[in-house]
Amino acid sequence: MREVAVPDIGDFKEVEVIEVLVKPGDTIAAEQSLITVESDKATMEIPAPGAGVVKELRIKVGDKVSQGSPILLLEESGAAAPASKTPPAPAAAPAAASSEPMMVKVPDIGEFKDVEVIEVLVKPGDTVVKEQSLITLESDKATMEIPSPAAGVVQEIRIKTGDKVSEGTAILVLKAGAGEAAAPAALAAPVPPVAAAMVVAVTLPPVPMEPREATQSKPHASPSVRKFARELGVDLGRVRGSGPKGRILHGDVQTYVKGALAAVPAPVPAAKGGALPFNLPAWPDVDFAKFGPVEVKPFSRLQKLSGPNLHRNWVSIPHVTQFDEADITDLEAFRKSNTAETEKQGFKLTMLAFLIKACVTALRQHPNFNASLERGGESLVVKKYYNIGVAVDTPEGLVVPVVRDADRKGVFEVARELGEISKLARDKKLKPGDMQGGTFSISSLGGIGGTAFTPIINAPEVAILGVSKSALRPVWDGKAFVPRLMLPLSLSYDHRVIDGAAAARFTAYLASVLGDIRRTLL
Amino acid sequence: MAELDCDVVVLGSGPGGYSAAFRAADLGLRTVLVERYPVLGGVCLNVGCIPSKALLHTAAVMDAAKALGEHGISFGEPKVDLGKLRDFKDKVVGKLTGGLATMAKLRKVTVVQGVGAFTGPNQLAVEGKEKTNVRFSKAIIAAGSQAAKLPFLPEDPRIVDSTGALELKAVPKRMLVIGGGIIGLEMGTVYSTLGTRLDVVEMMDGLMLGADRDLVAVWQKFNAARFDKVMLKSKTTKAEATKEGIRVSVEGQEPKVYDMVLVSVGRAPNGKRIGAEKAGVAVNERGFIPVDTQMRTNVPHIYAIGDIAGNPMLAHKAVHEGHVAAEAAAGQKSHFDARVVPAVAYTDPEIAWVGVTEDEAKKSGLKVGVAKFPWSASGRAIANARSEGFTKLIFDAESHRLLGGGIVGTGAGDLISELALAVEMGADATDIGKTIHPHPTLSESVGMAAEHFEGVCTELLPPRRK
Repeated sequence: MREVAVPDIGDFKEVEVIEVLVKPGDTIAAEQSLITVESDKATMEIPAPGAGVVKELRIKVGDKVSQGSPILLLEESGAAAPASKTPPAPAAAPAAASSEPMMVKVPDIGEFKDVEVIEVLVKPGDTVVKEQSLITLESDKATMEIPSPAAGVVQEIRIKTGDKVSEGTAILVLKAGAGEAAAPAALAAPVPPVAAAMVVAVTLPPVPMEPREATQSKPHASPSVRKFARELGVDLGRVRGSGPKGRILHGDVQTYVKGALAAVPAPVPAAKGGALPFNLPAWPDVDFAKFGPVEVKPFSRLQKLSGPNLHRNWVSIPHVTQFDEADITDLEAFRKSNTAETEKQGFKLTMLAFLIKACVTALRQHPNFNASLERGGESLVVKKYYNIGVAVDTPEGLVVPVVRDADRKGVFEVARELGEISKLARDKKLKPGDMQGGTFSISSLGGIGGTAFTPIINAPEVAILGVSKSALRPVWDGKAFVPRLMLPLSLSYDHRVIDGAAAARFTAYLASVLGDIRRTLL
Repeated sequence: MAELDCDVVVLGSGPGGYSAAFRAADLGLRTVLVERYPVLGGVCLNVGCIPSKALLHTAAVMDAAKALGEHGISFGEPKVDLGKLRDFKDKVVGKLTGGLATMAKLRKVTVVQGVGAFTGPNQLAVEGKEKTNVRFSKAIIAAGSQAAKLPFLPEDPRIVDSTGALELKAVPKRMLVIGGGIIGLEMGTVYSTLGTRLDVVEMMDGLMLGADRDLVAVWQKFNAARFDKVMLKSKTTKAEATKEGIRVSVEGQEPKVYDMVLVSVGRAPNGKRIGAEKAGVAVNERGFIPVDTQMRTNVPHIYAIGDIAGNPMLAHKAVHEGHVAAEAAAGQKSHFDARVVPAVAYTDPEIAWVGVTEDEAKKSGLKVGVAKFPWSASGRAIANARSEGFTKLIFDAESHRLLGGGIVGTGAGDLISELALAVEMGADATDIGKTIHPHPTLSESVGMAAEHFEGVCTELLPPRRK
């Protein structure tokens, strides 16, 4: 092992590293370029002094280096050779022989392609256990982690942060079992295909999705069209080209602008800087540090993604929220009487599971709540399936996994599934598919508190049910006040689709179902 | 002290600066152009692109005349009258800079001669024959760059940079070029044709870095006879001025005496010489001024363009940036969004490249397809007796859209524009191949390379499909 340092590079001092050309685990040849540095006069590449395997990088892009600055740790192949002459420990030999290195690939991640790698969580030489997260991917919907299909030692990483991956893309080479001396034989056995563990057997219902431009390729438009678009403030990535081979023409930009003007949604204003719509005054620019110490905390990737979506939904959907209360005294007693049974089976019977079933019953009676506005707003798409989204709070931000076909599942099944998806959400293991295809959402703050709130509709759905904390209240039964357990309901709905009377009927009906859960059978 | 008020002041009158000033004036802004030298045009017109091309043209014709011996046409040995050659070069420069001065006058651009430096966010002082205080509402910094120096070289008239080499004081017997980039090799070509023997020393492992190696290899083979020694990965350690010449030590080599040493180790931006801090303009430690796509510095009403705003330090990039800055200063929504900036070495043969190079594609893992059309299959190149070159196109492997390319051969610098246009327009291999190129021309090689990529070129055997 030797440390490779910056050689004599002339009079240059404190030159900037603009590129690192190798990574840990790379096998390099003598004279192979390791890094590129740039002075004000020239860029130059620093070659390797000998062949070997890169063990550890000591610098990164942006560092300033001079002669003698350490670059990396190199295990020289010259040094490695004699070491291998010493016979390996007899116990290790069979294990090593039986564990063929395996290529770990990206498993089935739903219909997503070219998803960006935002984090590589392991490095060569790491020992990983089965299901340990290897990399984090991020689609436009969510982040997810790809677990290891087996235990072993990471030999080589085949991807890096920023890469776009799809199903089948090689992630790394894993020497299965090699790291676990305890049970080498068992682990060396053939490993089940990666995908098997990950796939959730569901067929995704056809949900219209916003078409998204592949961001890595630049829009197919000539300089004059680019200039025109810039003048109008049009993002060419969103314009569909009608010319040969999808070329964006002058007229396409005009059509896009006409369409944008005709569509209702207001532009999403930047929090700072850019002009706000509706001729609003600019966002106040305050130097907070002037008034006391502050700390700037960058948003998580998920928060950055969900913020603009929430904002779009809030400003582009005319929201109305209907408040009501459901008497769940009997339902709560029924739930409690069954909790022992489910705990035996290993899951919690939550009120949310009953709420989902009750909502499905109400949605069947009021199909317009289980619908989406067609683009252009000319008609309503009423869905014949009942996929209920459940807002889950995670340390990274808010996600809304979906319980599919809730109408065909029993309360126990729904409850069990809720437990599973909540755990997946908190472990960042939800796949984009797990969050698609919802037809109605529930946001439950019942476990925390509050008497009512106004949830934001999860577009393109048209309604969302907010649930606050249930409380014992005196209720007049015609003769006397009796203590009843009341659950506050807050239903936000899209007023373009649903009118106030329908919403009042929906919540009243929902309350009646919750009041007597037997109605779900009717 | 004279006082001047204006809408926009442009500091520096190189190609970027005068283009910015003229554009600003055309947009109706009251414009002041500040230039330290008595003539407009900056490095490019006075001591760069233009005079070097005048000399390179002369050298090329001399070499061509000599080559005609092979065709049965022989001339006598050329007689070189250096004084007259200098006059020709100066006349070329004079014609262009004179034209600029007229253009400035007709556009009512006020030219102030002297060294300008900011004294505040809206003020610039010019130290010339008299002192002028320019008050501006917008400023465009176009103060350019200067040749980088090697501190260990002694002061001696025989040690020159590109400006000194263009003065053409004498034709040395033996010349050392320190720095094997475009500028050094262009000047080396001129001197070598006039009779000088050349050595080149370069710290990196190749000449003309930035261009793909296969392009440079063709030039190097064609020009091997000009050089006694090409020292790569070598460092000049010492130079002493002696009576016999400049005695230069290069690591790992015997010291050698040269009649002239040309230092061409790159150019350094002038960001730290213009009082930028007084205006609050941020300059990085290397002397560059960071800008956004509108060429705005951190101070929103002050712009920076050209060499001082970042690499590549090329006149044609500066001109486009100058237009963007002037338009932005006039309130237009102009942005610099050119996808590619072509680069040309005016050596013989010329080397030109644009956009993605093969080396870059390899390094970044970009999936590309490459098509090469050798000029040995071009009738025109053969007729010119210059068939050593080739035309290389680099396409996106999936969409077949052109990403870049390189050409080595006579006139490559003129041929590269078609590739730049094709990249900007998003043309693919079929678009280029189906565009009729006139026959017999060197430009045909572009169309044929594109056809070759699609396997439809009949001048070559179709490529083997993997």
